[in-house]
Amino acid sequence: VPDTRMQEQAQPADRPGGWVVGTDVGGTFTDLWLRSPDGQSLVCKSPTTPDVVTGVVDALRLAAGLVGMPVEDLSSRVARFGHGTTVGLNALLTGRAARVGLITTAGFGDLLEIGRLRRGTASLQGLEFGDYSLRGRTGPLVPRHDVVEVRERIGSDGRVVTPLDLDSARAAVRRLRDEGITAIAVCLLWATENPAHEIAVAELVREQIPGAFVSVSHVIAPTVGEYARASTTAANAALGPIAGDYLAVLGEQLAALGMHAPIMMTTSAGGVVPAAALSATPVTGLLSGPASCVVAGQALGKQLGRPQVLTLDVGGTSFDVGVVVDGAPLLREDVTFGGADMRVPSVDVASIGAGGGSVAAVSGGILTVGPRSAGATPGPVCYGKGGVEPTATDADLVLGVLDPNRFGSGGIVLDVEAACRAIDERVGGPLGLGTMEAARAIREVLDSAMADLLRSVTIERGHDPREFLVVAGGGSGPSHAWALCRELGLEGFVVPATATAQSAFGAGTSDLRTTASRTCYVRLSGGAQPDESHAALLTRALTDTAHRAITAIPASSATEVTHTAAVRYHGQAHHLDVALDARPDAAALARLLERFEADYETLFGKGAGYREAGFEILSVRAVAVQHSSARSSSTSSQLFEDRGVRPVVFDDPHAPRECTVYGCDWPSADQSVAGPCLIQLPGCVVVVPPGGTAATDSLGTIHVKVGRP
Amino acid sequence: VSASTGAAVLDPVLAQVVRGRLVAITDQMRLALQAVSGSPTVTEASDFFTGLYLPDGAFATMGHQVTFEAPPVGFLIRHLLAGGKQLREGDRIIGNDPFVGALHQNDLQMCAPLFVDGVLVAWAGVMAHETDMGGMDFASWSPKAKEIWQEGLRIPAVKLVDAGELREDVLDMILTATRLPAQVGLDVRAFIATLNVAADRLVELCHRYGTEVVQSVMAHMVDDSEQKVRTRMRAMPDGVVHTRDYLEHDGHTNELYTVDLVATKTGDSLTLDFSGSSPQAPGFVNCSRAGLSGGVAGALIPTLGFGIPWNDGLLNPVRIVAPDGLICTAVAPAPVGSATVETVWVVSNVVSAALNRLLSATPEFAHRAQAVSSGTMATFNLSGRNQYGEPFGLHLMDPLAGGFGAFADHDGQDAAGPINTPSPSMADVEVNEQKTPLVYLYRRLAQDTGGAGRRRGGVSAEVALTVSVPETQALVMTHGAEVPNALGMSGGLPGGTVRQLFAEGGIGFRDLGPKPGAFPLRDTDVFAVTWQGGGGLGDPLDRLPDEVLDDIRKGVVSEAAALETYGVVLRAGADVRATGRATGRADVRADDGATGRDTGWDEGATRRRRREVRAGRLGRPVEAVPAESRDLDPSLRPAGLKDGEGWLPLADRLHAIRDVRGDWRVETTDGAVLCVGSTRWREGAEAFPVPLPPRVGGTLHHRLTATGWLCPITGHLLGVDVHMKDQVPFHDLDLDLSEGSRVSTLLMY
Repeated sequence: VPDTRMQEQAQPADRPGGWVVGTDVGGTFTDLWLRSPDGQSLVCKSPTTPDVVTGVVDALRLAAGLVGMPVEDLSSRVARFGHGTTVGLNALLTGRAARVGLITTAGFGDLLEIGRLRRGTASLQGLEFGDYSLRGRTGPLVPRHDVVEVRERIGSDGRVVTPLDLDSARAAVRRLRDEGITAIAVCLLWATENPAHEIAVAELVREQIPGAFVSVSHVIAPTVGEYARASTTAANAALGPIAGDYLAVLGEQLAALGMHAPIMMTTSAGGVVPAAALSATPVTGLLSGPASCVVAGQALGKQLGRPQVLTLDVGGTSFDVGVVVDGAPLLREDVTFGGADMRVPSVDVASIGAGGGSVAAVSGGILTVGPRSAGATPGPVCYGKGGVEPTATDADLVLGVLDPNRFGSGGIVLDVEAACRAIDERVGGPLGLGTMEAARAIREVLDSAMADLLRSVTIERGHDPREFLVVAGGGSGPSHAWALCRELGLEGFVVPATATAQSAFGAGTSDLRTTASRTCYVRLSGGAQPDESHAALLTRALTDTAHRAITAIPASSATEVTHTAAVRYHGQAHHLDVALDARPDAAALARLLERFEADYETLFGKGAGYREAGFEILSVRAVAVQHSSARSSSTSSQLFEDRGVRPVVFDDPHAPRECTVYGCDWPSADQSVAGPCLIQLPGCVVVVPPGGTAATDSLGTIHVKVGRP
Repeated sequence: VSASTGAAVLDPVLAQVVRGRLVAITDQMRLALQAVSGSPTVTEASDFFTGLYLPDGAFATMGHQVTFEAPPVGFLIRHLLAGGKQLREGDRIIGNDPFVGALHQNDLQMCAPLFVDGVLVAWAGVMAHETDMGGMDFASWSPKAKEIWQEGLRIPAVKLVDAGELREDVLDMILTATRLPAQVGLDVRAFIATLNVAADRLVELCHRYGTEVVQSVMAHMVDDSEQKVRTRMRAMPDGVVHTRDYLEHDGHTNELYTVDLVATKTGDSLTLDFSGSSPQAPGFVNCSRAGLSGGVAGALIPTLGFGIPWNDGLLNPVRIVAPDGLICTAVAPAPVGSATVETVWVVSNVVSAALNRLLSATPEFAHRAQAVSSGTMATFNLSGRNQYGEPFGLHLMDPLAGGFGAFADHDGQDAAGPINTPSPSMADVEVNEQKTPLVYLYRRLAQDTGGAGRRRGGVSAEVALTVSVPETQALVMTHGAEVPNALGMSGGLPGGTVRQLFAEGGIGFRDLGPKPGAFPLRDTDVFAVTWQGGGGLGDPLDRLPDEVLDDIRKGVVSEAAALETYGVVLRAGADVRATGRATGRADVRADDGATGRDTGWDEGATRRRRREVRAGRLGRPVEAVPAESRDLDPSLRPAGLKDGEGWLPLADRLHAIRDVRGDWRVETTDGAVLCVGSTRWREGAEAFPVPLPPRVGGTLHHRLTATGWLCPITGHLLGVDVHMKDQVPFHDLDLDLSEGSRVSTLLMY
């Protein structure tokens, strides 16, 4: 019987009659996306509160008000509550996470201090690398005096070289206990090949420090490379107590409103897991916001029958790009966080410092835009909050893209004159350009930096961007996408009605998804062929990962499991993930290597492969998915409202084009308009250039064709 | 070709767009190389170079990679241009000849002439360290070598790809010469992929924006950087700086070699004269002229080029003077196998020391003056058969983990890497153990290797190694085991020297000295090595005792060093084990006041101890030196400053002062006048044989000694010179004080 119940919980969104909620807590706003049982959706925003939970409840109350229901009524009808938050991220960045004690192999207690020499340059960008006085600004995740060593050693083949000295382990644990430390990370060398010592040390910790939150490296980050593994394990331990407390309070508050739906937490790997699963491995949710954004784009692509998707998110400070290939977001394991290298399965989000708040400056006759951002404070000049340096948002305002009276939903009136003055003073003057020319120059420099990033994640990785559906989101994405499309020769882009709350939408609609990986080292010298013993080794590892992935989520017959192996030419540092059967034989491994070589040549060009070097298989990964199959559709009857005409500069700063301005909160299906025009959505403006067109589909998604200039 | 020929009316927007694309292309080159390469030097340690060059061979863009390697590919390109070689679209030229442009034969380099519509518009270049390029010994650098022909295959400048066709025969020849054909084979493919990326993208860019625009932007990039660095130089005082460093052992005998630099800075140009250096050595420690340029670039780019895009423009204000045949301008048949880690590195040390002297004397930049960082890279190569039965070769990159030199305003970073690598990296212990039969017994920070000073130099790391197979061949060599190369500044002490120990059968460590060369390393042996720390800055007695206590708690300074070198007396029974997180100085004191927690050090005893040390240095009774010296505060006017006088900082406790009549003197913080009419302040300072701590001076070369220079009033250290016993220390800083000179515009009042 429990199985049935769990199955219901697993896919409650499919249950008729349920409301679905997705929430995402950002630095400024808590976004909420809500879908009614009949498929109608809405989005709302409420300020993020210091305790976070209150902001989430506020957003829920706001949403209930918008659909005209008492919040308790709505809560009790919610079938699924998806949630993403930056709580962990902020705690780690601001040092408010739990104090961690790290236990390492004797002789290697300085591993976080040394940090593969990479810690010294962590968080530097661009020209900062050349300024050595800036090095070493990021401290280790665990200060040296909270790191203790135990005598033991396991070899690279998993054999015990030095047995665990229990006395030294007891002394080490006692030392941490005496300091009052209750969050413990254990990372011993080669625990991935033989976890016996880590398990024994963890047991000792639980014995001597009752109630301790213990993270062990072979579980948290089962990958070869002790620096990233220790960092990930330490971060997990630091977040553990916070995540547990937070989820408990959130659960209580929602329950108090009458909500019985399970809380589904978003992960960095794109997808959701039950809250209980995340509270043991909070580090896997660290970068869930950007991941949810990509997943939202993936979901949209699926509904539109487009398996190749590029998601563009332009916020205030950064431009984030996600790539979905054959229906699945590209993943990566290596991420850098808080100055430390980590190994967390994550949606691969490429990012540069280019957004609405990016500062435009002229130095030596050269105009640069970003990566420095005016941030939320003081913000762009036009906000009138003390900003003096012109930003991309100021340029957009001057160019006519933004309506000074209808910016965002905060009721701010933008100061066009101040923006003009700042652009004149700091950009136009030094470059000898008029205001409009200067504003257009700012936009062009920003757009070209964004286009460079798009090129590097598509063309440079062997993908033709023209085959991709471009989903534009964020406050500035829909207004810049047209220029990016033209720069890359793309037909157009789409803007979902949830454009400024894509992460919340993703949290509400994500598949239930878990990943499990483990090391599995197979080495094939140049000319050697894989044999059945290799196949047996891989099969064992695959069986184990599949089991762990499946048991981490509620049981369901609908669970799909896929496998990949990390393969590289011998000696290389970078591997490719290549799909693999659950129980491969020698022939299947030979096919795996062929697929690797084909993928490799796609990426690096014909002839780049070099079999003579031999191959290495490093690890395997299983991904278990229960698809969220519910579709939403727009039952809105809102037509684009004609709000007048305003001049907008596109290509020629001296010849602004008169543009019809349309407005709408949630567009109804089957409308179309011709460019040049602007479509004002809550929190963003869709720019349709001259020669372009825009039309809505049954979901309310706006499809823009950019036409030819 | 002057970069200034670029169109004067370049559209600034277009310029930035194209500039962004050029930087993006350079980054794509790096990614392509790192993705395809099979060399740990490339994939794990970023020991490589990718860049785009102007048609004349000046580099316009580079990634943030090894700065030594910035000029060499340019030499290869200029060699091709000078030779009038017929170049065609699709040509990819390979080379590694140190007498053409490489630093040593391990530096495999390739370049590609990039044509648009039949016209040569630019070059792309790539270079990386290959673990083996053949020669008499594995790793292509042998202490036994007497001639360059013994050191490995030499490729002057050969078309590997001829108009798009790979010359398999040439590649075969190269791969036949190396002991690691698979690794080099993969890297050559990576090089070709890298150059192809550059070619495709640059041609696209030219078609999109016009060749003239792209060329003009590239030329402007070089021009801009040159103008920026010249502006920066004009803000610095003119004068002559003299620095010197040494390296011991040429592979055959433990001879001491000198690299001597007289740097003359006038306005916005700089002459670097190495004429006083030793003649070339009979062993592999030399560098060619290409190496000298690399060594100069290695230090100059980061020291003066901070915050400026890195390209050839930074090097244009510099003129190098050095006759042929010196250790830093060696000519055939001199071997140069270990040039990069020997003479090239030492050249960087002296250039860094000289330029930082000038920064010290520039009010705007004094805070960022830095002592010498990790003055060597001790090499460890391993070869034989690995645990999988395959032949293998390893060039360990861990020795990059030396200490950073102290900055005037903050301590040098521990295990930071040297200044020639802007984004250093080394492999995980586990990654090395998986790829090779290495087994680490420890990899940790090395106590007391950071140069002592008011600002401490970073400590280095150290490792102990054995192997998991019965036997391998190790190749071990360094300089700086008997020479403290990471010199301090402003009275700071040098960082620790290299220590290479070997326990055969695991019993009884013996010191291997600087260059033991090749020896078997068995699974019962242990090899242990400690690398150089960074130099310290300022008198160690000026370091805040709280900071010394933090260092003890972190384990990077011993209690003995705290007492002996820093003069800090611990409170009996103090818990120096570490409690709580380290916080800012002021906070610690405030916390202690509020909570009454033990600071760990005894205030009265420390004050007495420090006074004793100062008196001892001067050879005077304790009462003969003041109980307290004046506090250091860079923003504080010197005590002896009279109305109307202008001043300039020279070092922690040294100020150059100009009186109302225009006469100059150098005065210590405590008011001792050391010289008049010049900045040759050693004239009036008291010399004494400064004791070097055990980790620094314990194995000093028999020809070397150290002299400390003291404030005659207080006994504070003003400078420390490491020099030959038979040579008198020289004046390192001689500013141009003539009337109307640059220095007068920098004075503070």
